[in-house]
Amino acid sequence: MTTAPSLQGVPITAVQPQPELVRIRDLIYGIAGIFHPDNKLDLLQKRCGRRMKELRVQTLREYFECLTIRPLRQMELMALLNEITIGETCFFRNPEQLDALRRIVIPNILAAKANAPGRRLRIWSAGCSTGEEPYTLRMSLLDRADSQLKSWVVEILGTDLNQRSLAHARAALYGDHSTRNVTSIHERKYFLPSGDKLRVNPVVRANVTFSRLNLSDDSQMTLMKNIDVIFCCNVLIYFDLASKRRVIQHFFDSLLPHGYLFLGHSESLFGVSEAFRMVHLPGTTAYLKGELPLRKGKAI
Amino acid sequence: MTTAPVGKQVLLQRLDGLRKIPTIPAVLFPLLHYLQQPLEQLDVQKITDFLGQDKSLAAQCLHMANSPLFGPGRWQKVESLRGAVVSLGIHHVSDIAMSCGVLNLLPQAKTSLDPVVFWEHSLGCALICRRLARKIKLCDPGKAYLAGLLHDLGIIVNLWVLPQEFRTAFEIAKSEGIPLHEAEQKSLGFTHCDSGRLLAESWRLSPDLIEVVARHHSPENASQDPGLVALVHIADLLCRMGGLNYGYVEHRQVNLFEDAGFTLLAQSSTSLKHFDWARLTFELDSYMDEVHSLVRAIYRA
Repeated sequence: MTTAPSLQGVPITAVQPQPELVRIRDLIYGIAGIFHPDNKLDLLQKRCGRRMKELRVQTLREYFECLTIRPLRQMELMALLNEITIGETCFFRNPEQLDALRRIVIPNILAAKANAPGRRLRIWSAGCSTGEEPYTLRMSLLDRADSQLKSWVVEILGTDLNQRSLAHARAALYGDHSTRNVTSIHERKYFLPSGDKLRVNPVVRANVTFSRLNLSDDSQMTLMKNIDVIFCCNVLIYFDLASKRRVIQHFFDSLLPHGYLFLGHSESLFGVSEAFRMVHLPGTTAYLKGELPLRKGKAI
Repeated sequence: MTTAPVGKQVLLQRLDGLRKIPTIPAVLFPLLHYLQQPLEQLDVQKITDFLGQDKSLAAQCLHMANSPLFGPGRWQKVESLRGAVVSLGIHHVSDIAMSCGVLNLLPQAKTSLDPVVFWEHSLGCALICRRLARKIKLCDPGKAYLAGLLHDLGIIVNLWVLPQEFRTAFEIAKSEGIPLHEAEQKSLGFTHCDSGRLLAESWRLSPDLIEVVARHHSPENASQDPGLVALVHIADLLCRMGGLNYGYVEHRQVNLFEDAGFTLLAQSSTSLKHFDWARLTFELDSYMDEVHSLVRAIYRA
């Protein structure tokens, strides 16, 4: 009989994930639209673990029941989603998204608006929490302002429901956790030291405004018009399907015909809206308003 | 000064360079032939004997068999080839054997395109093809896997036959952030689809696989099995836009739904209508880590 040699000293990768965890992953994706690929399941397990400790629940199977059949399942789902998004807010959170915005999305929009009157670009950070995202967007665009955006007015609007978050955003003062991804170059360029914290400098703050807005308030939402790009990261996951659909329809109406919608990393609109078209950008995805194409294309 | 493309003529003149390219390990051809038989006639011992004839191939297979990419639902380490065939099933073992078989096909000399990156892309593409074929019930997942694995054979040819000229094309692709086949067309006058077809034909691959190699960037011209070509085309696109590219970023926007490959795929499979492309894209993330560690481990071994 032939015996095969084995590879000594080569690391063997981890075993398959627990089926209960996969069920929780699929449940979260089905309800909230946020997906944990297999290599991020340990993170989901940790987050479930924190909730399980709180609830004094021993097994993932039991915890799955807490999320599905027990009376307080809705509350538990919200609590788990909070665990999932906690500490997510920071500057330069999603570099692929920012790169795609600068290198592909903005040039596409500028080309689409080449003949439009007025050189104005409007970017909306919907559910901006304490302001890291809108300031990051401003910084990313300032990085390239010398060339493509010269002579364009860029307005960035951050909205949130929570007044305290907005007050924090306007104060623009941030600690280590929020600024953990800020490089020393960006720190010198866009921040001023203030005690043991960093304050966003006036150049960045100049064109960023904040206002209170409830995404579920139809009358407020209809006022949002002529937007080029919307960022709405890890916000819709808290909405039920009907409200999610309403918000997405409002986003669609708010955007100009060439407009883009960015969601959080691993967040999807599958089953929510067919109005937007998903597009692939390097290392990330976005949703394009565009027109329904379905014409015979050429291979890319 | 711009240099004129070398053109297909040069490729054809240097065809004897094809002889420099190592072939797939000899044991794989009889093994693949043997695996075509009905499942109930297959003997596990015979398969392990085939693979065991090539010790380095066997070792690589064993390592690959222990990756989560190939062992759904397994909790224990596979210690022997026989164990691999028994626990993973015969078809997975043939996927693994083919993957290991092609890993040694690139030149040893320093090449413009890093071999690790190249095989990460090919293996990633094979895995996406297999997953997609299963999900949309398009074709045999094993065939889809093989098609994904071999689709870029032409890059191997270019690296062996026209290394300097290919380096120029690769540098253009990298610096302009454009697809490699566009840069090849611009600077060589042909693409890896053209050169791949030559190798695929000389290896006497089946007509549908030859077509995948030759048409994966123009699935609208496929005639043998347009569905399979379109499947590889889309999987390749997803890999290149995700983290399993050729080591550089293509700075562009891809709308799958406007793509000719997508239209063809939709014609070939009815389950595509409600397919969750976002989820498949996110799943690529988890393949990435595994593919990286697997290819790197095999190259180090």
